[in-house]
Amino acid sequence: MSEDILHQLKNTLIFGGLTDEALADVAHKATKRRLSKGNILMRKGEEGDSLFLIHKGWMKIVTEDSKGGELIINRCGPGETIGEMALLDQGTRSATVIALEDSDVLELKKDVFEKILDERPDVSLSIIRSYSDRLRFSTTYIERAIDWAQKIAEGDYSFVEHTQPAMNKNASDDDKATQLLSAFFTMVNRVKEREEGLKQQLEKLTFEIDQARRKQEFEEITSTEFYAQLKEQARALRQKRHQG
Amino acid sequence: MKGKIVSIHSFRGGTGKSNTTANLAAQVALAGKRVGVVDTDIQSPGIHVLFGLDENKMGKTINDFLHGKATIREIGFNIGENSSGADGRAKLAGMNLWLFPSSIRGREISQILKEGIDFNLLNEGLQSTIKEFDLDYLFIDTHPGLNEETLLSIATSDILIIILRPDNQDLQGTSVTVDIARSLDVPNLILMVNKALPKYDFAELQKEIEIKFEAPVAGILPLSFDIADNASNDLFSLSNPDHDWSKALRGVAQAILALE
Repeated sequence: MSEDILHQLKNTLIFGGLTDEALADVAHKATKRRLSKGNILMRKGEEGDSLFLIHKGWMKIVTEDSKGGELIINRCGPGETIGEMALLDQGTRSATVIALEDSDVLELKKDVFEKILDERPDVSLSIIRSYSDRLRFSTTYIERAIDWAQKIAEGDYSFVEHTQPAMNKNASDDDKATQLLSAFFTMVNRVKEREEGLKQQLEKLTFEIDQARRKQEFEEITSTEFYAQLKEQARALRQKRHQG
Repeated sequence: MKGKIVSIHSFRGGTGKSNTTANLAAQVALAGKRVGVVDTDIQSPGIHVLFGLDENKMGKTINDFLHGKATIREIGFNIGENSSGADGRAKLAGMNLWLFPSSIRGREISQILKEGIDFNLLNEGLQSTIKEFDLDYLFIDTHPGLNEETLLSIATSDILIIILRPDNQDLQGTSVTVDIARSLDVPNLILMVNKALPKYDFAELQKEIEIKFEAPVAGILPLSFDIADNASNDLFSLSNPDHDWSKALRGVAQAILALE
């Protein structure tokens, strides 16, 4: 097994915590597979009986959109693992994976994977730890996303300024939580822009009062005997009320 | 001063005057005040519908009073004791709010208009209403325009609220009403804009109207299909308290309550 593959395994989420010796053992039990461009690595709905480590080449992860068309939900490249979820939770494949170019992958069969877990408590513990880390990371960000969503609802976007720089630092991290955050902040910025745009689009209503007409109409009403009498009655009434 | 007369007026019809009057009176009553609402729109009465008063059950009216056929006590319809039938109105249960309706019968309407209304008789009527019911505020829903009975209501009011839509015709007409109100020494003049299209900058609009008329604009209420569709004839600010229209309306009610 090449140093290259060992290095890649070490960089994966589930095997990252293993010692070199344990990694070599995992690598040894895996089988190499070669895919040509357009080959399907797994199909959505199939039973998941193995996980893959991409050694060389790029894959697209696709599902169907509401109209039955292909919807690419992600792309994966060298060093990334695919299918580990179905292996652990015994569910079916959640998406279809197709090679975008000629690629090499390392396949670890379910029975082999489970055997490793049986024989090597250190590997089991490492996998549990890595998932626990990921869960904690996700939960923290979900909590923060809830807090931010409440702020957005109130029209308070101030958190964007002091949160975003810290996030950009981790932009190279491929973690899904980071991708979600990135999409979240893009959304917030667009909403903010649109809201400011709307504010600026408010039209100014201008009107002019015809002062000559205003004066004429006022005089028409106030020049009658009725009005003169009313004005006098109203004056007397106000005086009485003021005193009373 | 106790017992303020608040006249609600608009230069043209269709400004939402009766709806605004009913909602303002309800909000002031909810603030714990004793409130009366007089419908002096004798030509086209309508405010009783918003208060859920069935026309078939309508007893003595303002018209009877003006003809000396009824006392003020007999005319007052207690809203606080008859507030069921709609979600919004139900919130008025136990409040001190009375409606003094105008007759909807054609013959009685034309009779009053032919004879004309006497200022002193109307005024005595309003004052005795305030006294008999120990009112803090008496709202008068007037007929649009500047005819004689509307001039009477303006002349007798302590607070005049002019409702206008933000268009040239209403603004032109309102300018004359503002001049009349000043000529008749009305102590407090408040403008309220209703049915404003949300695309306008409300803050700018308020500033411009206040500068042009030298009078405060207590609220700019948005045009809303929700209100136009008030099929249940309920009091909208009570049935939809979180609506932008209702929020702005409460601002106008606060402006009334703030006047000493």
